[in-house]
Amino acid sequence: MARKRDDKGCPLDMTPMIDVVFQLIIFFIVVITIDQKLNEDIELEYSRNGPVQKEQDQRTTVIEVDRMGWISMHGARLSPTQLRNMLSDKFRRLGGPFPILIRADHRTKHEDVRAVMDICTTQNIWLIDFAAIKEKKR
Amino acid sequence: MSKFKGTKDRRKGEAPQLEMTPMIDVVFQLLIFFIVTLKQQDIISELGVSRPQPDMRPPPEKQIDELLDIMVYNHKRLGGEGFVLKGQQVSLRDIERHFRRLAGYSTKPSVIIKCTGDSPHANLVKLLDVCHKTGLTKISVFSL
Repeated sequence: MARKRDDKGCPLDMTPMIDVVFQLIIFFIVVITIDQKLNEDIELEYSRNGPVQKEQDQRTTVIEVDRMGWISMHGARLSPTQLRNMLSDKFRRLGGPFPILIRADHRTKHEDVRAVMDICTTQNIWLIDFAAIKEKKR
Repeated sequence: MSKFKGTKDRRKGEAPQLEMTPMIDVVFQLLIFFIVTLKQQDIISELGVSRPQPDMRPPPEKQIDELLDIMVYNHKRLGGEGFVLKGQQVSLRDIERHFRRLAGYSTKPSVIIKCTGDSPHANLVKLLDVCHKTGLTKISVFSL
């Protein structure tokens, strides 16, 4: 006797798949870093032996200098006077010196980096860090 | 005959069916978006230097002996860019060799890097990298 075929078909249980997909989405949302608006045109020099800061100080100010010597912070171009005023305000707000990280293009002339360092020293900031690539990921 | 017969029937017996297809579509779109836009961040090293501070006190004699004075230049007459250590043009490899010899000393000398205005920033970073490689971390940067 022939068996009657089930017309409804085999139901696919979607619950585990949706669970996994949601887990992945949550992972990506958590892992994704907030865009710091860094200048993507700046190419840093390599430094395989430099120290890596595991947890960056929240007070750290990142100053960027592109290959043409333009100064920027958070993607906004600044004149030396504007930079001086910003650092001065932050110094007053924090009540003392704070870490400075200079992201300068490897082709930038030293005189342009010097201009930024001189502004920092006028604000009594004597310790300066330079950013370099320890390991390229992309 | 009622227009909403199906609805009435459902109310009576069957549980309402949730249409999963649009939700799965959206979820997959989100997943693809995140996968495509995810960028891995480069690992950044931070090379610390100090700028010369005005100090009216004369440095002790012993400290003068422990100073390493290197110049980073970019001069057409000197054949482009390079480094000068103890008055001689040297390569980064020579500097590293010299630093390694000094690493045997009990006291770590201070390094003074003097950069000319037109020298590329890359050379300063390369020199700082050599300093960190050989364990010299007391570094000051002067600008000429």
